Amino acid sequence: MYNDIMAVYEGREGAKLVFQPRIKHWFDVNLSSGSLPKHYQGMYLDEIYEDLGVTPREVWGYGGTGSEFAGYYALTAIEGDDVEIWTRHSPSRRQSSPTEVDYIVTEYRTPKGTIRQVQRPTEHGTSLMNVEYYLKDLKDIEVYKHILQERNYMWDEARYSWGWKRYGDRLPLRANLQRAPLMWLMIGTMGFQRTVTMLWRYPKEMEELLHILDMDFDKQLEAYKGRPVAELNFVDNIHQDLCPPPYFRKYMIPFFQRIIPKIHAMGMCTTSHWDGFVKQLLPLVQETGLDGLECVTPLPQGDVTLEEMREGMGSMFLRDGIPAVLFCSWVSIETLKDHVSRLIEAFYPRLILGISDLLPANADVERLRLVNEIVKEFNEKL
Amino acid sequence: MCELGKAELFEKLKESLLGFDSVAVRKEVEEAIQTGLPVEEIIEALRGGMEEVGNRYRAGEFFVTDLIVAGEVMREAQEVLEPSMKNASTANLATVVVATVAGDIHDIGKNIFVMLLRAEGFRVIDLGVDVSSEKIIGAVKEYSPEILGLSALLTTNLEEFPKIVDALKVDGFRDKVKVIIGGATVTEQFAREIGVDAYAKTAVEGIGFSRMWIEKSRG
Repeated sequence: MYNDIMAVYEGREGAKLVFQPRIKHWFDVNLSSGSLPKHYQGMYLDEIYEDLGVTPREVWGYGGTGSEFAGYYALTAIEGDDVEIWTRHSPSRRQSSPTEVDYIVTEYRTPKGTIRQVQRPTEHGTSLMNVEYYLKDLKDIEVYKHILQERNYMWDEARYSWGWKRYGDRLPLRANLQRAPLMWLMIGTMGFQRTVTMLWRYPKEMEELLHILDMDFDKQLEAYKGRPVAELNFVDNIHQDLCPPPYFRKYMIPFFQRIIPKIHAMGMCTTSHWDGFVKQLLPLVQETGLDGLECVTPLPQGDVTLEEMREGMGSMFLRDGIPAVLFCSWVSIETLKDHVSRLIEAFYPRLILGISDLLPANADVERLRLVNEIVKEFNEKL
Repeated sequence: MCELGKAELFEKLKESLLGFDSVAVRKEVEEAIQTGLPVEEIIEALRGGMEEVGNRYRAGEFFVTDLIVAGEVMREAQEVLEPSMKNASTANLATVVVATVAGDIHDIGKNIFVMLLRAEGFRVIDLGVDVSSEKIIGAVKEYSPEILGLSALLTTNLEEFPKIVDALKVDGFRDKVKVIIGGATVTEQFAREIGVDAYAKTAVEGIGFSRMWIEKSRG
């Protein structure tokens, strides 16, 4: 399995096809709401992966939610001496929609001022959404610039050691980088609409902030240097409505072109997470220098055909590619089987098969076994 | 102001809106007010500009980010117009109730839909995200909207749509309101099966349906 994934990274032919679906969301929600199918009750997520016979990807790891060995942020941010982080939240996990008491408030207090974020858990407490973003105006940008300039990063050895003991012989380590600067503002710190209007209203100030965010990646890469990482993934959540072609050309391509050669020089390959509509962006993706894309979602859930994906990506590899909705009961099993066969035909050997992007909480988990059967049959013929 | 001068000013206003030049838009709206042009006509000229924004989006020349900036320019223009609007007969096109259904907190598509509806002249009741079917039905009863727009991204929340449609039927409102749904995991087949009036893949498509329904209802 290890070598089969490495073969995809390295562009080697003849290796077995790996099916590596993300099922943690399905597990978390059903565990939280008491609706796990009987067969899986009492199992750890790792054991469910094993029972299904598929390759582990997201597991319940050291540090709780989000600490997946095969896709986590393997760095710890070390804040400057004059930066304090204050947090308050209720530790309860609610079954129904959360109320204000469940809100998580985080403040960064610095000599330049304070920025504040408010998040709330989603309905089963398995994820968080932003109610209030850190950056609301120019004053907040100044505070954030100070935080970024003072910040450094440290390799998270404890978490790595945990993952290596359990999965090191099976999975090459795939770790995350932050979202590219534009996407980080849109999704992580400023919000989509505000980022767009701020770029329009205050281009100079926003360019400065984007530049500092860009430079922050040098510090992240420094912390990854010499570590046993095979793949660095930008968790970009690309969608062409958030990042249309003019933005992609102006903000994303120059960023990737500056950073990716540095990643390659460290002996690592690199991917980006594209989980939205991407038809207008695929013709531009090869200019980035990325080695592969994760989660590109074809029709009927996304907006591209497999042929368009193949053409746009050229020799890049694809991780995932089965639209999540095909695992739901209202889509026929024949549709799923047909899609998987066509996907393999279009992308193998540049493919790590998976779901674009998560197994839905109300999906039929047994459909994973069907996909696995197709993969087994395919591998037997190799 | 003569007809030619008016036409020129409105053309300039439209061009400024399409160029996202809010300073020029404010100045031209002020000029139009000062020269005594009826507020209704200024609003109509701005709506014409927004319609062109939508056309360019459909043609692939503009993107969602452009819709947001155009909406922002339009909001600034409306700020300038506000004091003059008290005596104007600027009736809303129609009322639209909009919500992201229970259990779902995704709102980017919904917010753009709301912004465009407002720019088009619709009165919008935005109920926000994670809204229960009871609250949605309550809003339909309270505001008697011509259109109900519902959004969901997660497959787990799609079941909310038929629940709301059924509740509208039970309460006798289904024939009085057009229901439009959106969200990445919604498919046309799903929309047909649950008996809504339309499925919009994008906010602009949603605006197209809304305008079409209102124009039809007005003959």
